[in-house]
Amino acid sequence: MIGPGTHLPKSVELRVFLRSLLLQASWNPKGMQNLGLVYALYPALEVLYPDPERRREAVQRHLTFFNTHPYVAAAIVGGVLYHEERIAAGEEDPRRVNEFKGALMGPLAALGDGFFWLSLRPAAGALCAALVPWLGAWAAVLFLVLYNVVHLTLRAWLFRMGLQLGDRLVEAVARARLPTRGARLRAVAAASAGAAAAYLAFTFGSQQGGVGGWLLAGGCLALGALSYVLVARKVPTAVLTAMAALLAGCLGAWL
Amino acid sequence: MHVGWGHVALAGAWGALVSLERRAFLQAMFSRPLVAATGMGLLLGQLQTGLYLGMILELFYLGTASLGAALPENDTLAASGTTAAAAMMAAQTGGGGTPAIWSLCLLLFSGLGLFGRWVDRRMEAHAAGLSAHGLELAEHGELERAVRQNLWGIWPYALVYFALNTVCAALGLWIGTYLSHVPLVVLRGLAWAFPAMASVAAAIAARGSHARSAAAWGLLGGAVMTGAVLVMAWVDG
Repeated sequence: MIGPGTHLPKSVELRVFLRSLLLQASWNPKGMQNLGLVYALYPALEVLYPDPERRREAVQRHLTFFNTHPYVAAAIVGGVLYHEERIAAGEEDPRRVNEFKGALMGPLAALGDGFFWLSLRPAAGALCAALVPWLGAWAAVLFLVLYNVVHLTLRAWLFRMGLQLGDRLVEAVARARLPTRGARLRAVAAASAGAAAAYLAFTFGSQQGGVGGWLLAGGCLALGALSYVLVARKVPTAVLTAMAALLAGCLGAWL
Repeated sequence: MHVGWGHVALAGAWGALVSLERRAFLQAMFSRPLVAATGMGLLLGQLQTGLYLGMILELFYLGTASLGAALPENDTLAASGTTAAAAMMAAQTGGGGTPAIWSLCLLLFSGLGLFGRWVDRRMEAHAAGLSAHGLELAEHGELERAVRQNLWGIWPYALVYFALNTVCAALGLWIGTYLSHVPLVVLRGLAWAFPAMASVAAAIAARGSHARSAAAWGLLGGAVMTGAVLVMAWVDG
């Protein structure tokens, strides 16, 4: 039984963290990540609530709607443990933990989406895609390393912050300045995409040889620039790709 | 290289694994096109095919993200399925991967991303049933079973994506037998379609990067690379 001021064993905290990696296993439109959250928390709830009735109540309060970014969810999972320790010790009202989840899941989802999905992943992906001609299969390895050094470090740090600070984790997350860093990463993604297109067009041009090959290479790049404008005007990407293939294919066959 | 049903099954297994990683476990980006396609190419003995398809599909799907409850196209199925088909096709011809084969597969299997999204939606219905069952079990005090419902969401994914990638690989094997009948002029045209599609993918990527002044950054990257290629060409004579 957990009493006032005592904490969960480290091994249980580790189990919860590892199980939180399966947060999205049963993502569903109704409860979204609810099953994943309860699955992650259960080893801790077993220790905190030896009484089956209190444990059932705890499980039920976490089977309600829950949805956030799967990485930054680590902060909420840690924070839930922080609150559940206090609820089990009788220091806090059980409603407090649901208020905590409700208040944080939206803002943290926006933060996680903006940094991980829309900044870090495109930057690492475009940079490593542009490096494929030089690094070969190592480009894929480099992508995994670059991405996961940041991802796993932040995920573990967020879990620890939630566990140690509870509601005050917001201040720690704000100090990480993720939106500012994200803006820089997005510029890397755009520049790398341009470099990859240029490399492919000119490499294929030089392989083809002659003036025709270089003209086609330049044409491919011009097609890319035109596509950029057309994508902005909501022309479907599948249509653009097919048209580009058709045009370059006809010209290539003729030249 | 001799190709057979063992390779088809291997393609299915890798496709299932990366699909699981995308959705159910870890999300360490093994499921991104660059990694999923490279891994598929490596496993099927067609590394270059995996690399170049992974590169172009990574750019094509660079800006897609699962935000909130919105489901994006399934970039993982697009990468693993297209590469499985291209690798089997290349192995069947005996000559290895070529830009013509890559273009052909990109065009033939271009609907895989959308189809994958449709499959994902169907899977959500199954997961919703698990969630409802979990609530019921918790109500009756069967907490262990309620919690384990989470894991039951994994297996249908593995099975469905195993089957889909197997079908793609088998189709590639089958189409590969007819490739020798394709006229040379068509193959030449297909070869040129590849850099054109790469340019379009890069434009989509620059737009999808969500960068402020994305066009300027893309142009800068393209200009630097063009300069480097021209200097190298000049040095090489």
